[in-house]
Amino acid sequence: MSASPSLYVDRETVLHRLNARSKLALITGVFVAAYVFGDPRWVFVPLAATFLALVAVGGWPNFKRLSFIVVALFLIGFAVWPAFTHGGGATLLETPLGTLTEREVLFALGRSERIAAFIVGGLLFVTTTSNEEIVAGMRSLGLPYAFCFAVGTALRLFPTFLGSANTVRQAQAARGHEPGGRNPVTLLRSYIPLMIPVFMTAIRNVQTQAMALEARGFDTRGERSFYNEQPFTAADWATAGFGVALAVGSVALRLQGYGTV
Amino acid sequence: MRELVTMWRDTRMIMLVAVVAAVYVALLIPFAGFVIIPGITAVRPGNVIPVIFGLMFGPAAAWGSAIGNLINDIFAGQFGPGSAFGFVGNFFFGLLGYKLWGNLGPLSSGVEPDFRERPVRQFVEFALVAVAASAVCAAIIAWGLELLGLFPFSVLGTIIFLNNTIAALILGPPLLYLTYPRIKSMGLLYPDLLHADDLPETGATRAQTAAVGLLLVAIAWVVVGIAVSLGLQDVPFAADQAETLGEGGATLQIILGAIAFLIVLGLTAISGERLSKLLG
Repeated sequence: MSASPSLYVDRETVLHRLNARSKLALITGVFVAAYVFGDPRWVFVPLAATFLALVAVGGWPNFKRLSFIVVALFLIGFAVWPAFTHGGGATLLETPLGTLTEREVLFALGRSERIAAFIVGGLLFVTTTSNEEIVAGMRSLGLPYAFCFAVGTALRLFPTFLGSANTVRQAQAARGHEPGGRNPVTLLRSYIPLMIPVFMTAIRNVQTQAMALEARGFDTRGERSFYNEQPFTAADWATAGFGVALAVGSVALRLQGYGTV
Repeated sequence: MRELVTMWRDTRMIMLVAVVAAVYVALLIPFAGFVIIPGITAVRPGNVIPVIFGLMFGPAAAWGSAIGNLINDIFAGQFGPGSAFGFVGNFFFGLLGYKLWGNLGPLSSGVEPDFRERPVRQFVEFALVAVAASAVCAAIIAWGLELLGLFPFSVLGTIIFLNNTIAALILGPPLLYLTYPRIKSMGLLYPDLLHADDLPETGATRAQTAAVGLLLVAIAWVVVGIAVSLGLQDVPFAADQAETLGEGGATLQIILGAIAFLIVLGLTAISGERLSKLLG
């Protein structure tokens, strides 16, 4: 995560043009659909849809930046989730340590897909929504401006800090310091030389950024207007409606017994 | 408690909220692959952040930890109904540090958390603060997931408590030793940023009672919650994971948790802070 600090990709796509609120409704619908179903065939639908949409809007570089997390969580989840459920169906693998049944595999695959769908869904939102749009969207939902500003700024800053951590790690490695060790205490303590420069760089920014904000008349108490305010168009109503229908429909189907293993 | 609202008037405190949240996420995401319970929690050395930044940035660290944990939930695939309790739990994880430091009576070191003067007494005080903050965070999240019927209290309560405490105890003292003087010289400690009338005006006795109460209730909640699961709810220790997933929702845990949460809220409302007086 050391290239461009921002996850937002400036493109002219249908999703980019939507209001942040309608995108939030859509993502909520996708999250609910991914959450309520357990059968991997059902969870695959929201996962595949968000992944295709992410690639279509130019979010492939963002996915690549977080791909190690997605792949690690998917594989580890797939390996660990069978321990969280009871066996059932045909036995697929029999070892001296235990057996792996069809139900365990389906359960694990469904859960891993759910985790991947959440990450890809979150990436799709930040890829198509600029920091200013996130803040304006949250504000229009009635949240206090200062809170929205803090969330938007944190979303903008964390890729930068991840990048700084990587730079510091490389600099420390060049001086012969590699975090590691078999003892967990030694391992944890070996991260301290990496953490200090990241902390201090981050905190040093507070003073200068606060001054820059105040120089531009930053005031959390007054009523604010937003540059380039996006209207809530018919397309937004349709998208928000689809998001709500997706959430309600998924819950209703799940209650009818569909999509379970 | 008023400072949790009035801090939003200060630009530097708002920036600190954003920076604490961003640093917290940046330290949590690289470890997201070290899964303990998939989709629920992972190994988190970044859990030292709410405790040490709580001591330095006070209310800004509480809000920053809550926001940072929520962002991490989304990007680490842990987002779900439990994230609401993760938000509240991490808010208290950052909050307890500045409420407790200096207010623990004979257990307090009586100096700033820089590990220069009276280091052994400071370590004892820091350990108590870290244990209390970790316990209240673990108890709120474990109670929340019990309420949602996702996991028994004993499973998450134990994992989160140990995860939080170990990271804070190992990494906290050296990080405070190295960063506190620098941040103090930058004038970014919360007593330097908040107006004097924004800080809670609490008598020494009441502040001490509230702090000791928070310490005891936090530890008692997590210990009793785990004990109830293991005893009365008959959740065996280190049970087969398949036995525990989706086995929350015990009425006794929900009632006990609700009472404990109300007590924590009440004590937080009447508690004070001490660092502004230690700074002189």
